[in-house]
Order: sequence, then C-alpha cells, then structure tokens
Amino acid sequence: MADVLIADDSEFMRNLLREILEEDHNIVGEVENGVEAVEVFKEEQPDLVMMDIVMPIRDGIEATDEIKNTAPEANVIMCTSVGQEEKMKEAVKAGADGYITKPFQKPSVMEAIQDVVPS
Amino acid sequence: MKIDVQSLGTFNQLAHEGAEQATRSMAQMTGIDAEVDVTKISLVDRADIGEELGDSEFVGVQFEFEGALSGDTVLVFDRDSTDEIVNALMPGAAEDPSMAQSSVEEIGNIMMSGFIDGWADYLGAGIEHTPPEYIERSGADVLPEAPDTGETDQVFVFRSEIEWLDQSVNFFIYMLPEYEPMTEMMSEHAAAGDDAIPIEKLEAFNRMTRKGTEKAAENVEMMAGIETEAEVSQISFAPIEDVPKQVGNDTYVGTVVEFTGAPSGYLLVLFDETSAINVAEALMPMETDGDGLTDQHKAAIEELGNIMTSGFVDGWANVLQQTVEHTPPRLVHDMGRAIIDPLAAQLGQHQQHAFIIDSKMKTDEVAFESTIHALPNEEELREALDELLVERAEETEADAEQIF
Repeated sequence: MADVLIADDSEFMRNLLREILEEDHNIVGEVENGVEAVEVFKEEQPDLVMMDIVMPIRDGIEATDEIKNTAPEANVIMCTSVGQEEKMKEAVKAGADGYITKPFQKPSVMEAIQDVVPS
Repeated sequence: MKIDVQSLGTFNQLAHEGAEQATRSMAQMTGIDAEVDVTKISLVDRADIGEELGDSEFVGVQFEFEGALSGDTVLVFDRDSTDEIVNALMPGAAEDPSMAQSSVEEIGNIMMSGFIDGWADYLGAGIEHTPPEYIERSGADVLPEAPDTGETDQVFVFRSEIEWLDQSVNFFIYMLPEYEPMTEMMSEHAAAGDDAIPIEKLEAFNRMTRKGTEKAAENVEMMAGIETEAEVSQISFAPIEDVPKQVGNDTYVGTVVEFTGAPSGYLLVLFDETSAINVAEALMPMETDGDGLTDQHKAAIEELGNIMTSGFVDGWANVLQQTVEHTPPRLVHDMGRAIIDPLAAQLGQHQQHAFIIDSKMKTDEVAFESTIHALPNEEELREALDELLVERAEETEADAEQIF
C-alpha cells in the first residue's frame, strides 16, 4: 500500500482518483494546484504523486520539477488531459516517471502505478 | 492556390449585401420586417452541409447559376412561416396550394436575383441563373447535392441567416459554388504576400479539426459511457461582430479556456442544459443532491470540458510539433451570445474578421448534444497554417508509452 498525494484542480477528478485508489493505497492529501502539491509533498513525503498538468497558480510540470529537484527519489505520475507530444517530453525532462491521459479507466491507472511503485 | 483574409472578407461582404438586398425585396413585397442576422463562409465536409437545419420542414426555391461563378443557390423558409409569407404577398393565397407554390417561386425569384446580381456586379461579368425550382423537404435534404470537388471532400459554402423580427422563424440563403471556379476566383483575388493561405493547408487544418472532434467524442464516450459521434466540423470566416450571433440565444452550460501557442485564442465547450445534466449524471457514480443543475453536475461538466478541450487541441499541437497551452477551464452558464461576446470583443481589439472553428457531437442514446467553438487569433492561425506540413496532418496522436 503506497502513500499517494493527489494534485488536481478538479474536485470531480480528485474524487474519481480517490475512489479508484483508496482501496489499495493510502491517500495522504488532495491539493488543487502546483504550489500546494510541493508543500504537501514536503510535509507528507508520499511514495507517489498523481499530478495534473493544467492547474492554476503553478502547473504540474513546474511542481514536478521542484519535487524532483528536492527529492530525486520521489515518484510522480502525470495524470492529465493533455496528450501533446511536446508536453510529454517536458514532463520527462521535469522528471516524471509515468504519464496517464484522461479519461482513464481504473486498470490503466493501477498498471501505471504498478510500473512506478511496484507492490 | 491561395486565399487571403482580405478577399475572404470581401466575399463575405458580398454574400452579406446580397442577402440584405434579398431581404429588402421581401420586405417591400410582403411588409415583413426582417434583417440579415449573420453571413459566413465555411469550408465544410460535403456530407455535413446543412446539418444545422436539423429535421425541420422547409419550403423554398433553388437555382442553378453559371457564368463568372457557377453552382447552386437556395432560399428556404421554415415550413411554419410559409403561409404567413404567402398571405402577406397575396391575401388568401395560402389556401390554394398552386397559388401558394407560385407565390413562393416568385418571391424566391425576386429575392435571389438581388442576391446573385451583387456578385455579378463585383466580378464585372454576367451570372445567369435558371428559373426557380420549387422545393419542399426536411432538413439538409432541402439543399442541392454538394458540387463536385474533384480530389477534396470539402467545399466552400456561403450561408446567410435572415431573422424575421419579433418571430421565432428564420430564413436561410445557401450558395454552393463549384469548387474549382470558386477557389480559382479566391486565388485570383488574393493579395500577393504573407497574408495568403494555401487552400490545401486550410483543408488539412479542417481535417485535423475533424479528428480533434472525434477524439473529444471518444473522450465523452469513455468517461460517460454514452456512445457519441462527431457530427460536423467546419472552419468558417465572418466579421468579428457577427461571431456571437453564431451561437444564438439559447442557454448553455460549459467551459471556456484561453489557449496560447500556435495559435492562441479561446475555446468553448457547450452543452444545452438537458444535455449537461444527462452527461454529468452519466459521469457521476453517486446520486446528486437537489434538482436541476447542481454544483456536482457543474464540477463534472468542468472536468469533461477540460478533457474535451485537450482532445480537441492536442492534435493541432502534435501535427505542428509545438505545444498549445490552455488555462484551467472556467465554467459558464448563460445565453450563448453572452458567453461568446466578451471573447469576440477581446479578439476584436486586434482583428476585424475571425476564423471560427465549429464542431458538433451528439448521440441517439440519450438527449445529448455538445458543440465546440474555437476562436483563434487570426494572424497566429495564418502563421500556424504557414508552418503546417500537409503530409503531417494525420499525426494528431502522441504515444506516451513511447516517450516514457
């Protein structure tokens, strides 16, 4: 069971992810922008961050970059509606470990997590 | 062959003035107070022409024209308004089917002569047209078969919507010019220089938009389990002040985002209220609190709009090998015109005309229909089209697994 932080500005999506994950994982926090994601990451040190890209105040790629700079061992899966190749490359550059495009089904989320945080 | 924004504006103005002339003729003959609501030029898939007419019954007249320009043109009235128009022309004529038909033919003849004459005058050459052919059909069937387009599946369509003031009925004028002569004429009128857009790039962009709509429809289906089909996708050109009229006065729920990159602009995903509730309920695993459109429905719509937006614009970014960033979605719930008006005003600070990219999707499963409208910055769209490699137009999808 991994400790997971969910960062997404959509309440609907945070709920959906929580429902998918809470049976197998421990949700340590839910935040709605990149600034809060970095803060809560530092406080909770979760095993995994499920990170949206398009968020207000600070986007998910910038937040990932900072998290990875301060904790290179951190695991971050981008969980986003953005399906642009250049954006995926930016995510890789920031240090993201996985990339799921919305809309998603539970099996694809679980598979991506298994690849990044093997149980 | 190339077209430029200035000549597109001129052609649009010609069609608009033609429609105004036709409307004045009708007002003179019937005393009916009407005005041209909107005129636009669209580049549209042949199969999608007239889709906006829905299943309504129409009565009207059709002409073939040839000369400096050739093709078909049609004037159609809503079936329900025909009796009133006919009786305004000749009291009691609506009671006699033969007289009613003759009245429609005559008013159509006079109106459309005015429409075509303006084109002939501008082109400085004659345009002949056939006698009016009376038509009475439903939906898009009222329009003539789209002209042969040779290798492409897209055609230019001029469409004017005429609003009968204080009534809920509208009239429509469609002009479907033959593709080759039309594009040649556009090309001849295009100014030499940076402003011109190769027509094949505009067509390629239209095909990308169709794929974007299909992707957005797939996303709806995957999230809500509602089988959804992309119905229409077209790129239109109209004066900036006419842009809000394209969406109409119905109330919509949806999202607005501002996108930046190649190009920048605004993108709206809109649902009528019934569709919004239906799709939001399909998205949510739990019962909602309260009746009508609740906050839970709105949160679901906000996220769906976000995902549909990405599905729509990601293809542009992937083909152009650039990024198109967009802001988080802003939920809107208002009359269509009120939603789009401030966005058009923003764009109007820098441009007089706008390209409008419209897409529609629907399903027969439940009452569900959604439209996507993109309003790109005109100059940046031209630059993006300049960069577009037509041979990459199919490369709309990116594979995350290959990159990670």
